[in-house]
Amino acid sequence: MSDHDLFPYLYEWASDMDVSLAGNLRRWAENEVMAKRLELKEDYEQLLEPAMRKLFLEIGMQRLLWPEEHGGDGHNTPAASLTITAALEQVARGDVGIALLLSSLWALQSAVAMEGAVNGEACAALAEAVAGRDEPALVSLVLPLFRDEPQAAAKHGKGGWTVEAASTRPLACGGNASLYAVLCALQGSEEEWGVLLIPGDAKGIERGDALKRTGLAADINTPVSFGKVKVPEGMCVAEGREACRAMLSWLYLGISASTVGALFASYEILKEWGDSRVIKGRGHIFKENPLTAAVMAEVAKETSLARMLTWDLARILSEPAVYGPPGQEGNHVTAAMVVHQVSQAAENAINRAMEMMASAGYAREWNLERYWRDVKALQLCLGPYELAKMDVSRYFYRASTL
Amino acid sequence: MRTIDDFTRPLEYLSPLDDPLGMVVREWAETCVIPYRRRFDEDWKEHELIEPAFKRLMGELGMQRVLFPEDLGGWGLGRSNYAGTSSYRLFEEVARADSGMAVAFGVIYWPMVMICMEPHVNRELCEEFAPIFCSTTEPRFAANAMTEPQGGADIENMEIVKGSTIQTTAVLDGDEWVINGHKLWPTNSGGVCNLFGVVCTTNPGSEDPNDFAFIFVPADTPGVTQGPPYEKAGMAADKNGDIWFENVRVPKSYRAHGPGLDLLYFKEVITFGNMGSIAFVGGSMMNVYERLKDFVSEETYRGKPLKEHDAVAGVLADIARDIEIIRIVGYQYARMIDRPDLYGPRWSDEMVAKGRAYKYWACDRAVEDVGKAMNLMSTYGADRDWDVEKHWRDLKIVQLWMGGKQLCQAEVARWFFECETL
Repeated sequence: MSDHDLFPYLYEWASDMDVSLAGNLRRWAENEVMAKRLELKEDYEQLLEPAMRKLFLEIGMQRLLWPEEHGGDGHNTPAASLTITAALEQVARGDVGIALLLSSLWALQSAVAMEGAVNGEACAALAEAVAGRDEPALVSLVLPLFRDEPQAAAKHGKGGWTVEAASTRPLACGGNASLYAVLCALQGSEEEWGVLLIPGDAKGIERGDALKRTGLAADINTPVSFGKVKVPEGMCVAEGREACRAMLSWLYLGISASTVGALFASYEILKEWGDSRVIKGRGHIFKENPLTAAVMAEVAKETSLARMLTWDLARILSEPAVYGPPGQEGNHVTAAMVVHQVSQAAENAINRAMEMMASAGYAREWNLERYWRDVKALQLCLGPYELAKMDVSRYFYRASTL
Repeated sequence: MRTIDDFTRPLEYLSPLDDPLGMVVREWAETCVIPYRRRFDEDWKEHELIEPAFKRLMGELGMQRVLFPEDLGGWGLGRSNYAGTSSYRLFEEVARADSGMAVAFGVIYWPMVMICMEPHVNRELCEEFAPIFCSTTEPRFAANAMTEPQGGADIENMEIVKGSTIQTTAVLDGDEWVINGHKLWPTNSGGVCNLFGVVCTTNPGSEDPNDFAFIFVPADTPGVTQGPPYEKAGMAADKNGDIWFENVRVPKSYRAHGPGLDLLYFKEVITFGNMGSIAFVGGSMMNVYERLKDFVSEETYRGKPLKEHDAVAGVLADIARDIEIIRIVGYQYARMIDRPDLYGPRWSDEMVAKGRAYKYWACDRAVEDVGKAMNLMSTYGADRDWDVEKHWRDLKIVQLWMGGKQLCQAEVARWFFECETL
């Protein structure tokens, strides 16, 4: 039994392919990242970029949810929510930043490539980037930083859209994205919001200096400005709040599953520590001390419950016929509640795990501090929790002005 | 406009040095540290940026001399009745700029507490070591070599293990101690240390307090080897590494006080460590307040500054509340250190336990609060440009050092609930 099987989820929902894929990605994480990181630490060029290329291109994760008719593997049904959960748990166990990049790509693919709602024009335009080129398909999502205030505006006119925004802060990979997916306030449309797709080499894009951040080293992020960037009509891929929320629900699932992966890795590090550390003199193994065991129990509890919640969310998104579409207000609020809960649980669990390890908790050598930084940086991609709560209250208490 | 100076301090018992020293250090922080600190993380090994700031603070402004007696070139703080409150303010001001620098600076005093503080001044050793720190404008570093590979914080868990796990040995050979052992993690190691205070045993496996020895070892003594610095989550200004002592010979007089007394006064080192930790937390948190206030005043949501959103303001209030209380509690503990006539000896179990309680409470609040501050800042919270994530990384280290939280809990429960087997 692997350590991850200790943490229960309703595996009856996972397909054989999901289980097999998870096994393959577990080996990817161990061989391509974890085995090399003591030496290479968080080096982008030597460790993270090669690992990413292998994952996105050789293993083919960027084609997984892409329609077969556009060169993908054709797993573009709602059941892919379960597949990406199984996958991202393992990817993030190796590297949380890479898992974020994959989550962003899959969130976009959920908006343009889902069976029954394939956006043919967008898929044709993106086919080369996703299934043709020999480069990782890096998607930079530009989302509201503060709840419901888009960072960009798009004006509808003759022949398409014009996107304008100064110094936006993308969720990830602003510096090297092959494609930007920008959630815009729409002008000249009946809908309030829309997600517009902009190729990375489009005229009018300006990137700022690379940002130094606390974690997620696989993500090269910069501020990005869009100066009257022209976008064809069909590249508005998610028009309306519900469509945008659907993409966000998938993104939240990806972030939640990635957070669970970081918890797995943290559990493994803590377990090794607890098995081998001696306290209070000879013969007292760390994990056998009741005070420390109580804290270790909390880490296990948070990990278990975070995984169960994440799989529950994946199941909800996998069955729109039962639970409704992913952009429906209730499902979107559920996704937001799950991802915030999982993220906070992970912050608590890893904080506690670090307490157990004292100085080793913050030593680079033990890697736990890396997951701690990465999980916090991932949490911040969700925006302020206090503002997210307004959506929750609005839904549950029918508040009308929040 | 409200500033960090509006957080409450107990004005009736501030030391005469408080404001003069505090303002000097604040000026130093504004000119020598804050403009450069965003590049400190990459400077963790070489200290090319960090070293000039240390030189200014410790060497040129003379802060490395403060504990030594005046007639030896020091400022005599160790013989005053305001060593606690004065150093609290100093640590707070340094930590506001960089808590890694604060701990490196504070730990210079740590071994000196054993020999410079009344009522247990060791005049002979003060005379011996004062020139290292008082006769130069170059920065000089001291370190307490405590932690060992096999037991970590067990060394500090004196009430239970009573020194029995210490494996660094000191054997008296004529008029010299011969020291052998391997230490890990001391602040100011990693190649920079000039003088070590080394926790040793004169009888391995013994629980007899008389066998606990605290012996000074100049870092250039033959047989002392410092390893390179470790890479950590934060606190680049504080170098930590391995130290090996191989048949290191020092004069017999380099033992701080002798059987029984070494262990007794070593507990005072823990007291000062707790006080310093609270000051580091308070200083960092005050800068978090400054940077967060800038952010929530500048960023807008629905046409108003973010701070004007009621739910956001609730979190801001919690953060301000905790900074206010941390500062009051920290100064109170510093005052207790300054008045042993009222609160008992600084090395008493009571003072150690209360210090542990305040320290781990302050750390817990700070770690949670800075996490919330980052969350309010959305994805900007992870940016080095906003400085808050730096304090978040550093504060976590303060929480974990000196044996971490569980050792604090054990000592607090042991004293307040009179537990006998913890």
